[in-house]
Amino acid sequence: MTATTRTRFWTAATRIFELSFGEMLWSRRTIFMALVVGGPVLLAIAARFAAVNGSVRMRVNGVGLGSDDVFGMMIWLLFLRFSVPVLGVFYGTALIADEVEDKTITYLFTRPIPRAAVLIGKYLAYLACTTLVVLPAVTIIYFALVPLAQVPASFGQLLEDLGILALGLAVYGALFALMGASLKRPLITGLVFAFGWEQVALLVPGYLRQFTVVYHLQALFPHAMPSGRAVSLQAVFRDTSSPVTSVCWLLAMMGACLALAARAVERREYVLEQ
Amino acid sequence: MTRRTRRFVLISASVLIVGIGTGLIASYFGLRTLTFGGNGTEELAYIPHDAALVAFVDVRRVMDSELRRRIQPLRPGARLNDGRDFLTRTGINIETDIDLMVAALPPGGASDRRPLVLARGRFDRVRIEGLMRERDGGAEDYRGARLLTSVEGDQRFAVAFVEPGLVAFGPVADVRRAIDTKSAEGDSMTGNLEMMALIRDMDAGDAWAAGRWDAMTAAGGLPQGFANQMPAITWFAATGRIGSGIEGALRAEASTDEAATDLRETIRGFMALARLQTRQRAALSTLIDSLQLGGEGRTVSVAFMFPADTIDALAALQGP
Repeated sequence: MTATTRTRFWTAATRIFELSFGEMLWSRRTIFMALVVGGPVLLAIAARFAAVNGSVRMRVNGVGLGSDDVFGMMIWLLFLRFSVPVLGVFYGTALIADEVEDKTITYLFTRPIPRAAVLIGKYLAYLACTTLVVLPAVTIIYFALVPLAQVPASFGQLLEDLGILALGLAVYGALFALMGASLKRPLITGLVFAFGWEQVALLVPGYLRQFTVVYHLQALFPHAMPSGRAVSLQAVFRDTSSPVTSVCWLLAMMGACLALAARAVERREYVLEQ
Repeated sequence: MTRRTRRFVLISASVLIVGIGTGLIASYFGLRTLTFGGNGTEELAYIPHDAALVAFVDVRRVMDSELRRRIQPLRPGARLNDGRDFLTRTGINIETDIDLMVAALPPGGASDRRPLVLARGRFDRVRIEGLMRERDGGAEDYRGARLLTSVEGDQRFAVAFVEPGLVAFGPVADVRRAIDTKSAEGDSMTGNLEMMALIRDMDAGDAWAAGRWDAMTAAGGLPQGFANQMPAITWFAATGRIGSGIEGALRAEASTDEAATDLRETIRGFMALARLQTRQRAALSTLIDSLQLGGEGRTVSVAFMFPADTIDALAALQGP
């Protein structure tokens, strides 16, 4: 790829990004995203009120949870294990599939721009759209749950969480963009992957779990669940790889999926149903 | 990009930037010292300005800490008694009901005088009142707060529900004075600049204490002979973070630079002696090696860090 071609590619991707970002943000999916992300925010605010009133205290196996423990659990259960894959599936698979379904892909592909730029532009729009919703929500949850006095002790973990969530959204988005670009029913396949394969592979001993995204995200997760409990939610997933290895795996997955998705978009002939 | 899209981006980015900015400021510049709601700052409004000693414990963090879980099996008898007397007397279970506690000793307190304690948590008022009444207690309203009193020996004690989720207990006169102090009829600890400066330096810990040295010796915290031989100290403070181990610092303000130098030399001597005596015991040796003597001018400080491994090794030394 020459410098001129590269410049043209990125100019095209930027134009597609600008076009898609607004469309994506104000689509019906945003209502779904608001529910997925807004739920934990309301839950955190309610937990804060309960803590202030002293009416409720969260316990696991009789051991009380600190506010940063509750925050860690919320990020792990509600975001890493649910919201991030779900947003990845719903937005990632729709990047190309929606255009095919709406029969508008012809308008994009007949423009004098590389087809891969369409995918990359839409992928960047997905990334901007989801991170601009998820990361501020997580920040609000953090400040709702963690008293200001405990912020210095746990703020580093928030920054790590934000980084992990952004990376998770990027990897899941790339993976499901590949599915959206190559498969006929990407949404179902994506849901089976996120809530079937990923869950099962994590429980199977051996190397299979390395081929899941969540295993590597888990390795980066900075929160330790309160230990000493008979049943720790994270105990099942304690066998993780090193953070550096996991970051490498995740970046490799993202790069490979995006490259394959771009290749699929370039080569595949999309037949629009009449 | 449409105007509403641009507005959305602006709002989202602002939330993120404000959140991260607040966190950074809180982390690096100690925002909590400027705000209320930190480690016992709100409760300090009940403590009279002339209290000789103030202490804070994040009970929840300590109770839930890995360290406590490690230590508990080593002292099974103590575990059974932990807070049992207090529970019987007041109906408050320290392990489950209390999140944080602030305690204060009034000036000139005798060694047997009980401190004023403010505890934040969840309290069953009906049960507590019932228990107090069973012990020939009385109840009255004092400046809008429910005051339950009981007699133990020759002293009268009180438990007062001063705010939702906040109780004050201790000698009746001290509890009443705490309520008066909050009602702005007396000066609170937040107006005592010397103590507040000490507290601000210490309140990063899960537990801290700050006070006048003479109060410590009067309260029987040190053997009289030892206290008399110490260089002249005016203020002292201690703080600790409790996780799987303990990390903390002790600080003393001497009355003069010379007294501070003497104190440093004394501590250095003790450390050298301890190092000599613990050379054969790796666990104790690690403990002594973790001590770091510091401070300048009139300030003398000792920082220490006991990691979980050291505590396990000490427990092993103690035997089953």
